[in-house]
Amino acid sequence: MRRVLLLSAVILTALILQTTVFSEVNLLGAKPELMYLLTICFAVLEGPSSGAITGFAGGMAQDFMLDAPKGITALTLTLLGYAIGMARQYIVSPSPVLPVLLVAGGTFAGIVFYGIVSFLLGQLSVGWLYLFRVALLSAVYNAILTPLVFPLLRRAAEGSRSRRVARW
Amino acid sequence: MALRTRARSTRLLVVALVSISLVTITVDYREGNEGPLASLGDAALAVISPLQEVVSKVTHPIGNFFSTLVRLPSIRHERDVLRERADALETQLAEGRADQARLAELEALFGLQESLGNRIETTAAQVIANGVSNFEWTITIDKGSSVGISVGMPVVSSAGLVGHVVRVGTSSSVVQLIIDPDSSVAGRLDVSRQTGLLSGSGPSDLQMSLVDPTVDVAPDEHVVTAGYRIAGVAESLYPPNILIGTVSRVLDEDSATEKLLTVRPAVDFSSLSLVLVVLSRDARG
Repeated sequence: MRRVLLLSAVILTALILQTTVFSEVNLLGAKPELMYLLTICFAVLEGPSSGAITGFAGGMAQDFMLDAPKGITALTLTLLGYAIGMARQYIVSPSPVLPVLLVAGGTFAGIVFYGIVSFLLGQLSVGWLYLFRVALLSAVYNAILTPLVFPLLRRAAEGSRSRRVARW
Repeated sequence: MALRTRARSTRLLVVALVSISLVTITVDYREGNEGPLASLGDAALAVISPLQEVVSKVTHPIGNFFSTLVRLPSIRHERDVLRERADALETQLAEGRADQARLAELEALFGLQESLGNRIETTAAQVIANGVSNFEWTITIDKGSSVGISVGMPVVSSAGLVGHVVRVGTSSSVVQLIIDPDSSVAGRLDVSRQTGLLSGSGPSDLQMSLVDPTVDVAPDEHVVTAGYRIAGVAESLYPPNILIGTVSRVLDEDSATEKLLTVRPAVDFSSLSLVLVVLSRDARG
């Protein structure tokens, strides 16, 4: 229950920040994509299933604010959360730079994937060059935001984790 | 063993979520703007817009501060340019006054004032949020159907044409900007009186097509909306003679059957805060 509440609160906050504060932080024609950042952070912290759930819920929430066909962001972020969660299980490096790298790579791949799906649906109204530029810039902005957001989310996630005895 | 079942259930979960997403995409794609999913989206808009309004009131100055910091060098340059322009304009102003008096006379003569004047009913609205994604150029305003706004109404600001309403909630609406790639506006060059079609191309200048290639277009020529009206048959979305922008480039191609221009919008969309929604423009009234 606490997890559901936490997730809803985090997603709502991200959505509101994305449309108000970060819509004005528009550097070189792109802005950070908070939902991508959130999904990747949760996937790194909690594993593939949490990543997929966060991505799906956040993506759906963002889709309903858009005028484009709903569901594309949800699809992108579900797969992104799962993929990053799986990748995390095979990397043993405890380096603090790891989340930053995962966020940068994940955001780039996610936005390009979003663009491809939109293109297949005939919904991509911008050029490929612009798409790649936005993906690259958003990846950089998200990476810069990671050191601020990641510790916050880690604390929140640990606080809401149900007290459990070792599983195996 | 436990690990393996967990991995399997995760995979099952992902497959389920992906399927739901795909079904949503398909259903929404087929229904367009009328189905239950679209109304669910409008409901979400109604819920979130009061929150956006509060946050935007608090953070707007902060956001402004940071974007000003980032743009500081260009602002400095702009200041120098503006100073020069101010000097030049001051001399022009003196000449202009005489012309202006004559123009006012002419306007009264043709009744031009009447056609644009007080018969247009508008409502002022505050911009409370900008588009969610990097691929959408919209703004959200704090007025909706409760003051009579409906889909398709034109939105202007003091600088010029902004766009038109695409979604309406009770106390908020979403406006598609003219720079959105899905937007197109009929425009007229104000010196040569040629009409053309202006379509948005996101972050870069508007593209104006279908212009007669034999016409000479001066750089910096103004482009205004070309309202048309065939009584009882069709009416343009936007009222006539609203400033859209100025010609920034003429793309010369000798073989072309149409001239292509790029037009820099008159409105600075990144710093919009107050806009006017045109509620009615009953020219018969």
